Amino acid sequence: MQAPDASMDLLRQLREEAVDPDYARAASDGRATRNPGAMSAIALVIAGALFATALVSTTRSKPLVTSERAQLMGYIREAEARQDQLRTDQAALRAQVDTIQKQALGGSASLPALSTVAIASGAVPVTGPGVVIVVDDAAASASVDGRVLDQDLAQLVNGLWAAGAEAVAVNGHRITTRTAIREAGSAITVDYRSLDRPYRVEAIGDPRKLPADFTATTGGSWWAYLNRNYGLAFDLQTSDALTLPADPGLGLTVATRAR
Amino acid sequence: MIAILGLLLGVAVGIWLSPTLPAVLQPYLPIMIVAAMDALFGATRAYLDHTFSDKVFVVSFISNVTIAALIVWIGDQIGVGSQLSTAVIVVLGIRIFTNAAAIRRKVIHA
Repeated sequence: MQAPDASMDLLRQLREEAVDPDYARAASDGRATRNPGAMSAIALVIAGALFATALVSTTRSKPLVTSERAQLMGYIREAEARQDQLRTDQAALRAQVDTIQKQALGGSASLPALSTVAIASGAVPVTGPGVVIVVDDAAASASVDGRVLDQDLAQLVNGLWAAGAEAVAVNGHRITTRTAIREAGSAITVDYRSLDRPYRVEAIGDPRKLPADFTATTGGSWWAYLNRNYGLAFDLQTSDALTLPADPGLGLTVATRAR
Repeated sequence: MIAILGLLLGVAVGIWLSPTLPAVLQPYLPIMIVAAMDALFGATRAYLDHTFSDKVFVVSFISNVTIAALIVWIGDQIGVGSQLSTAVIVVLGIRIFTNAAAIRRKVIHA
């Protein structure tokens, strides 16, 4: 007889041959044992063990994931606390080194030169008049075009250097020759610490000359372009007293004994 | 009786020893269990039909488990592992349901 629908043959076969046909064949040959024997028992033990293994591994892996996550978070917090501690220690040690250095140099001629170098390199905190520039993403734009990028900030900082700034800091992070302004994910990082917007760039320099000189630099025209075409916020104000911190990442790599 | 005892012994051994399966075999464990269930239901139905055969059961159990894992393994190698495991589960699932229904009819005549 023709099957009602040949294309349903697979499903029909599945249902009709749900039991291995070999059982019927074995029974008709008289080889059926009717009751499970030792071999079956071994297979059943294996089946039970398989089931238990799966059960155990799924119940075990669930709390493992959460505990692993908690453990990782704990590690991160520990590392952060340790980093803070090290930073504090380093600041204390630096102050100590500075005192010893000054004592050793006494009234020598290299002392004024040293402080000039220290200011320029960002090794010491500095205070003085200057400008504060606050930049931010465009207000109404959700697209990438309206966002401040790492290169925009770099252009701004370079423009300030070119305009004669003596010290620059972004969101309280001092910019030195060793600070990188980079992008990680969607955040801008300065010295490998991510920043929150708005970006506040402080520069110490002559407050009367700096704004005008800045507009004449590449960074100035770059930002004028961004401000005009993409609506990025740019606000420049002069300040009489700014305090910029020292760069904590500035380590001593080469030292020679004083004679 | 020996069947239920064997199964319980297996579960007890599995929980007691809780062996860690090699990572390579880990993804195939669920499919192997479904295949084992299929063999078990088929054997139960054959037992109730008085056609049970030790040899047929052991051979069908081992071949079911190996082939199911092998199919999914090959699927993984050629990039259709999840689709093939779905196919295996559908086919074995239909068989399990059919056999379970037949067993139910035999046992409680309903």
